[in-house]
Amino acid sequence: MKVLLIEDDDAAATHIAKGLREHGHVVDRAANGRDGLFLAAGEAYDVIIVDRMLPGLDGLGIVRTVRGAGVKTPVLFVTALGGIDDRVEGLEAGGDDYLVKPFAFAELLARVNALARRPPPAETQTVLRVADLRLDLLKRRVERGGKRIDLQPQEFRLLEYLMRQAGRIVTRTMLLENVWEFHFDPRTTVVETHISRLRSKIDQDFDKPLIHTARGSGYCLREPD
Amino acid sequence: MNPIRLLRTTSFRLVAIYAALFTVSAGLLFGIVYWIATDALRAQARAALESEQTALEAKFGSASPDALAAEISKRVRSGSYRSTFYLLQDKSGRKLAGSLPGLKPFEGWRELPVEEDENVENAETAQHESETHSDRLLVLGRHRPDGSFLVVGTDTNRVSEADEAMLGAFVWSVGATLVLALGGGALLSRGFLHRIDEINRTTRAIMRGDLSERIPTRSVGDEIDQLATHLNDMLDRLQDLVVGLRQVSNDIAHDLRTPLSRLRQRLEAAQQEARSVEDYERAVDQALQDADAALSTFSALLRIAQIEGGDRRASFADVDLSGLVENLVMTYSAVAEDLGKRLMTSIAPGVHVRGDRELLTQMLVNLIENALRHTPDGATVSVALMGGERPVAVIADDGPGVPEAERDKVFRRFYRVETSRTTPGSGLGLTLVAAVAELHHIGLHLADNQPGLRITLQFEDKKPS
Repeated sequence: MKVLLIEDDDAAATHIAKGLREHGHVVDRAANGRDGLFLAAGEAYDVIIVDRMLPGLDGLGIVRTVRGAGVKTPVLFVTALGGIDDRVEGLEAGGDDYLVKPFAFAELLARVNALARRPPPAETQTVLRVADLRLDLLKRRVERGGKRIDLQPQEFRLLEYLMRQAGRIVTRTMLLENVWEFHFDPRTTVVETHISRLRSKIDQDFDKPLIHTARGSGYCLREPD
Repeated sequence: MNPIRLLRTTSFRLVAIYAALFTVSAGLLFGIVYWIATDALRAQARAALESEQTALEAKFGSASPDALAAEISKRVRSGSYRSTFYLLQDKSGRKLAGSLPGLKPFEGWRELPVEEDENVENAETAQHESETHSDRLLVLGRHRPDGSFLVVGTDTNRVSEADEAMLGAFVWSVGATLVLALGGGALLSRGFLHRIDEINRTTRAIMRGDLSERIPTRSVGDEIDQLATHLNDMLDRLQDLVVGLRQVSNDIAHDLRTPLSRLRQRLEAAQQEARSVEDYERAVDQALQDADAALSTFSALLRIAQIEGGDRRASFADVDLSGLVENLVMTYSAVAEDLGKRLMTSIAPGVHVRGDRELLTQMLVNLIENALRHTPDGATVSVALMGGERPVAVIADDGPGVPEAERDKVFRRFYRVETSRTTPGSGLGLTLVAAVAELHHIGLHLADNQPGLRITLQFEDKKPS
């Protein structure tokens, strides 16, 4: 995947670029807003990572300009500004996700992977399929191997999100933000509890588990090997 | 006290302005009274002279001038008409009788200066009078039918005396008033200045850093006392805030030192004891956890500060509180079950409030998680939502509760109830709850659930604005 990293802090930029390259991505780095805008508008990237506070042109300005020019590349804001309004502002300017510093590299990697556009779906998006697991968004029905599985509304939403990101690692924070709309860290095992319940319904009676735990970073729903 | 300062005080200026106003209005009043009184006295004098003329005319009108002259001479000599003057001249202008010097005949009213030398017949009186008054005579001249000329006059002493009496009264009373007013003003200002000085002294002391100084009050309840009381209340509040701030800084320093020193310990231990890659990995994992703990404390503090900053009301929107609580209860029923506890609910449908969805969510999550974390196995936590003009949410448990004495303190940053010290936590959860509640004008009450803790959230009357 080709990633554009617009970040003025050399140490942070080096750390991020090195990590992304180790995971097989191609990374271009711009150290200021002007260069970043130039690259973002001129080259085709899969994901753009933008620091919100940059010398010259700030991250919000870059993303607004790029979006104004019709570029639809997914944008991930990376910022020290963790206020509620800051996140809303970033998303309104055209960002697709917002990550507050400091963060674990695994978190950034998972979000970059989640943002990258997947190939167009083969069938209409009303039904999600992974292996023999089938989730019907219109009928709100889940089946595995033709067997109907009853899910609680939140388990349904959790599974839907995991299936949309099938094959990729989703972090605990991503689940909290997207499934529960918690933009803070709860002090109880909300995610673990619900993943465990979902597992008992989806995987328990079947030979090959679909939901996997990625040590230290999150969960992944994928086809069995 | 410096007299210049006294003159500059507001109260003295006010008194001076009022004294000036009073003087002007008294002067005006005096003028009017003076004019009316003088006019009346003059009219009286004229009437008296006219009737004297008429009387003489009636008595001697047909008689010869000599008879009249004799009568006049008699009157002048007798001295019983001290303030009345006469003059009778014949046709040729020769003086026949009277106490006035010869005059060129005229008809009607005149005023004449008093000339003492010629006022022979009445010299004694005239001299005496002229010592005190530089008077003029009011005279009425009339030609008699036989061609002789008769003048009757009077001095204007009575008018002048009245004038002087009035003027004297005016000067004395205004003078006394001015002295009293200015003296009183100065006294008043002195008292005023004294109290202002007290306030100034206190504020200077406070500026120098002594926050415990207070403005003395006199318990008379006047406006300065009220001002002083309000200023003192303000100072109390400020002192609380400053002390609180100091306390918070101390607490932050203390609370962050704990995870950082643990982090340091672990790294040092790894440096000395780790022998394998696994050992190092374990040490690094633990070090990351410690760092994350410190960072999450920072984020929580920043978030609380941001909420307390209170500039978020602009983004308030309608929040489906029933839906929100239902979702949370669904989420936490499973969590409670895993923890060996029960979550009971009773949620009224269709309750809406104005607010920030994200913050309300976090507030309720903190309260529910608190109840789940600080209760023993088998505990029951109940979440209830009631609608109405002012929706009410109640989160209650049957755990150890919070002693009454500590109920106010639990909202402070880093405060932890003694019984929960061993439970992991930052001591910031309820601080955030209080901040969100304050932002939304939610009444937050802690009570004894007998047993356990019962937290009531009374939402603001939400008629859409």
